[in-house]
Amino acid sequence: MKAMIIDDERPARRELRRLLTDFSWVEVVGEAGNVDQAAEMVETLNPELLFLDIQMPGGSGFDLLSRLERLPEVIFTTAYDEYAVRAFEVDALDYLLKPIDPARLAEALGRVKSAQAARTPQPDAVLEKIFVRDGSRCWFVPLREVRLLSSEGNYIRLSWGKSQPLLGRALAALEQRLDPNRFFRANRRQIINLDFIENVELGVNGRLHAQLRDGPEVEISRRQARLFKTKMSI
Amino acid sequence: MNDAGRPIAPPKSQLAYWIFQLTGWGLFTVTRFVSSAAVLETPWIRLLLENLFLDGVGLLFSHWLRDFVRRHHWSELPIRKTIWRIIIAGLVLGAPLGLVTQFTGLSALHDPAFLKPYAPAIGFQLTLSASIAVEIVNWAVVFIIWLTIYFTAIAVRKHRSAQLKQSELARALQLAELRLLKSQLNPHFLFNALNTVRSLIADNPSRAQSAVTRLANTLRYTLSSRQDELVTLSQELDIVADYLELESMRFEDRLRIEKHVPVDAAGVHIPVMLLQTLVENAIKHGIAESPSGGVLRISAVLQNGMLVLEVENPRPPAPIRTAHEGVGLRNAHDRLRLLFGERASLELNLSKPGVATARLRIPLQQ
Repeated sequence: MKAMIIDDERPARRELRRLLTDFSWVEVVGEAGNVDQAAEMVETLNPELLFLDIQMPGGSGFDLLSRLERLPEVIFTTAYDEYAVRAFEVDALDYLLKPIDPARLAEALGRVKSAQAARTPQPDAVLEKIFVRDGSRCWFVPLREVRLLSSEGNYIRLSWGKSQPLLGRALAALEQRLDPNRFFRANRRQIINLDFIENVELGVNGRLHAQLRDGPEVEISRRQARLFKTKMSI
Repeated sequence: MNDAGRPIAPPKSQLAYWIFQLTGWGLFTVTRFVSSAAVLETPWIRLLLENLFLDGVGLLFSHWLRDFVRRHHWSELPIRKTIWRIIIAGLVLGAPLGLVTQFTGLSALHDPAFLKPYAPAIGFQLTLSASIAVEIVNWAVVFIIWLTIYFTAIAVRKHRSAQLKQSELARALQLAELRLLKSQLNPHFLFNALNTVRSLIADNPSRAQSAVTRLANTLRYTLSSRQDELVTLSQELDIVADYLELESMRFEDRLRIEKHVPVDAAGVHIPVMLLQTLVENAIKHGIAESPSGGVLRISAVLQNGMLVLEVENPRPPAPIRTAHEGVGLRNAHDRLRLLFGERASLELNLSKPGVATARLRIPLQQ
């Protein structure tokens, strides 16, 4: 597994590299000391796992994640951050406290391994999860759990469980990266997750109304309704 | 008699009480004796004995009254309730004494017949009961005055001890506040330093050893700083040096240090951990936030009876604001105010581009 270490302190990077020599299946392909450098390296090296410090000069670890197109697995490394703990409240991510306990590192890596094994292989272009940062809260959002994506100007509002976080991207750009078997463009402003459709009713002028589980009713435009019927073979 | 609830007066106030009692009653006796002997034809020895007897009983009554008042906590009652009690107590104690006085030679002082030569217009005669009533009221007034003086003295004493307590409380509060405002152990620094040490153990064991010693010095200083308020600048600089050495192991060439401290400034007393706080701040918001790091400059100069300390650090173009920013500086500010009032100052100067300077002015102690 290709991994990258991102930390602004060289002794800290060196120490983690040394700890990782015990895990031969983890190959450290690169190191970065700040967010700009890291963003560039992640795009070219394409690591599957990031060891990411939170406080760094010129931007935090969270800043890096919201800039990345493709999200690798992430293990946060931090000396002491109430910040990080706050972010983890809402998401089951792993994090390591520095100085890193080798046993905790083994545990975290084991979790990464089993998460990878459980995942069904997807074509490279399809996004599985995205990092969302809304105000002081951060989430790793698995896209299959999102029932609705609504365009709000240059942003996307995600309907995900009880939260409605805002994602700083345009809907059209994200649409190309979504799994076409799961997501369907209902109208100019909305994309729905087909897994969440409870029932569909006929509306006027050939439109359809799809009722989403736990969510709103979404109107499928006339043009898209035809597509929808073919797709669902109704 | 069980009077466990009775407050026990300290010996000093007990003595003061007896001095007041004897002086008060003594003056009362002397005045009455002199005035009665001057106008009455009764033999002076009889007047003296009668006066001594009556006022002796008065003294005993007032002493017993004090005991009673304390046992029933009259001084804690609202003033209106106290006034009624004072009047009733005056009449109750005044009654026997008034009655006795009627049958002494002193009663002649209230005889209208006796007053005739001075005021010929007086044409009435006092009945016996009216005469007794006058004596009783006279004595009641004496006890009312006595109680009024007593309660006034108590109120003054209470007020004074409350004031004392207030100022003690204010001082304790100030001390607690000072203790709280002192730089606490910075966990971020501590864990990062430990991580550096861990890394050095394999890479450079002798550096790791020196790092542990410096870390121990820094921790000891931080922990013991709770006792002292002021240290000399050179003591504080020693610990700043240890701290900076640890931070340069972490930041390596990102942290460059310059120090200009003249010899005559080294002995000046400054608040403990204050320079350390400024340096920590400079690292946190200057060096740690800038990818290429920069120069941290510490300088001291003596100027017009003041020590001027400056800590300068590079300022990243777009500082990342966190909720905790400024807490260190604000605490330092509050400590200075508590220790020196308006004579000391601390300001953060951001006028130079790309540089932040914290300037501290402390008056030289005599």
